[in-house]
Amino acid sequence: MNWLKSIVKKYFPLSARSWLIFVAAMASASALCAILQRLTTSDTHVPMIFVLAVLVVALSTEGYFYGLLAALLSVLGVNYAFTYPYLKLDFSVYGYPLTFMTMLAVGFAVSTLTTRVQAQEKLRAESEREKMRANLLRAISHDLRTPLTAISGSIATVLEDSGTLSREQKNELLLDAKQDADWLCRMVENLLSITRISGGEMGQIQKEGEILEEVFSEAVMNFRKRHEEVNISVSVPEETLLLPMDAMLIEQVLLNLMDNALVHGRGTTRIRLDARYEGGFAVIGVEDNGGGVAPELLPHLFDGSLQLSGRGGADNSRCMGIGLSVCRTIVEAHGGSLRAENLPGGARFEFTLPLEDVE
Amino acid sequence: MTIRDKILVVEDEKTISGLIKAILTANGYDVIQASTGSEAFSMISSHCPDLVVLDLGLPDMDGMDIISTVRSWTSMPIIVVSARSYERDKVQALDKGADDYVTKPFSPAELLARVRVALRHTRSGPGSGAIANTGKFTAGDLTIDYDKHQVLIAGENCRLTQNEYKIVALLGKCAGKVLTYDFIMKELWGPQSKGNNQILRVNMANIRRKIEKNPAEPQYIFTEVGVGYRMIEGD
Repeated sequence: MNWLKSIVKKYFPLSARSWLIFVAAMASASALCAILQRLTTSDTHVPMIFVLAVLVVALSTEGYFYGLLAALLSVLGVNYAFTYPYLKLDFSVYGYPLTFMTMLAVGFAVSTLTTRVQAQEKLRAESEREKMRANLLRAISHDLRTPLTAISGSIATVLEDSGTLSREQKNELLLDAKQDADWLCRMVENLLSITRISGGEMGQIQKEGEILEEVFSEAVMNFRKRHEEVNISVSVPEETLLLPMDAMLIEQVLLNLMDNALVHGRGTTRIRLDARYEGGFAVIGVEDNGGGVAPELLPHLFDGSLQLSGRGGADNSRCMGIGLSVCRTIVEAHGGSLRAENLPGGARFEFTLPLEDVE
Repeated sequence: MTIRDKILVVEDEKTISGLIKAILTANGYDVIQASTGSEAFSMISSHCPDLVVLDLGLPDMDGMDIISTVRSWTSMPIIVVSARSYERDKVQALDKGADDYVTKPFSPAELLARVRVALRHTRSGPGSGAIANTGKFTAGDLTIDYDKHQVLIAGENCRLTQNEYKIVALLGKCAGKVLTYDFIMKELWGPQSKGNNQILRVNMANIRRKIEKNPAEPQYIFTEVGVGYRMIEGD
């Protein structure tokens, strides 16, 4: 039975919108014919009008069902109501089989065409997504190579040292290696986050009710492990709500935004996390007191184009785009949105999460 | 010669196993290593280690099975090493009887803290020595008075409800150890209380508002998202 269902779904999808179009087109064709019938004695226009109606229906609905139904109904309608002999079904009159065939052919042909175009559009969107994924992969692999080279090099230098390096020099090399390794860990977490949103379609994530302050505190704790020097303040609404989310992913978003604030903020020393409930959404903000985002970058922050064009900023070109496009992917998969703005004395990134599960 | 705690590290990745061994040896533990599940079993029965550090992804058997098998005959502490993204694995491991977990990538300090807590809890049984002696648990400004059934912050009564007190008291007895939602629910509301942990979550949010200065930056009770809660180690 499954194959039958899939065929029905593919070729005869039903929807309220399509029904509406179908009914509207047929009704207006009938009305037009009814009016013209009073005005003229000729009825040559009738088949024309109905062919037009069939065309409209087939063109603006999905699948074959409505187009063919419109064709069938038109044939009956034309035959029965609007042509001689009136109010009588008679297919023996000369020319009717031809009209009948024409109607059906138009319905079928246009439906086929529409379905094919729609399928192609879907394919295009898919290949677009595939392309984006490939771009991201390329950018990431490229970005991973640099720190790996540095790590390997630093450690080799320390290992092969025959006593010429001072203790400080060795420490410095090892510290660099550690920082690069930590950075790699974070990037890999980001990649894992993306694979958690499987299939690429929306709503594939496992959501559970989570309390916002718990996610905040875990994100802040993890961030502090790496950057003790930054002053972080957090505020949450007094009211406790369980928000549907994948906590691990939202934590990733918060971590990325905080990382960004620090690495790209040019002199960030303070980060503020806050949240409020507004119009069915939780609005979550990450604010810093750094130099803000360059105005020409603002529109391109989240589309993943930064790391490709190497516009990530002169101070630190690494991977701003990846972190942010991961944020966007995650937030959008939750049914929220992400935006950025410059404040006097800093930048603010803000994302929303629906309070109720949208599915 | 001092007798040192013996720790068995079960991990198939050589580098990680070597790293854990280095961290533990440097901090005064004896370390033995196993790279497969069957090897682990034979070493557990022949060496009787004081603690096992177990990676869940072994080549020859499922880490969960190792936990249940070991738990069937000994209460030897088990610390699970797991990757970050698999909180379901952590919960399952804890509910099967593992004592705690560390998440890759972990810092040496984290690993050592978990080992220390796990060893202490098995020595003194549930409820550390201090609670048994004084009837109190303290960590910073927080005091849980088990005799009077009160929780105090800097000497002030926090006025917890009965359920809230029970949750804090339980966490205090197992301070330093993560307790899963399911475990806490079963302890408080009996074995039928499966599934929905919303009551617990909301209770915890209320507790935070009563005992923490800023509920989003807790000092005493930490959330392990998707897993459970952990009380800070006592003084």
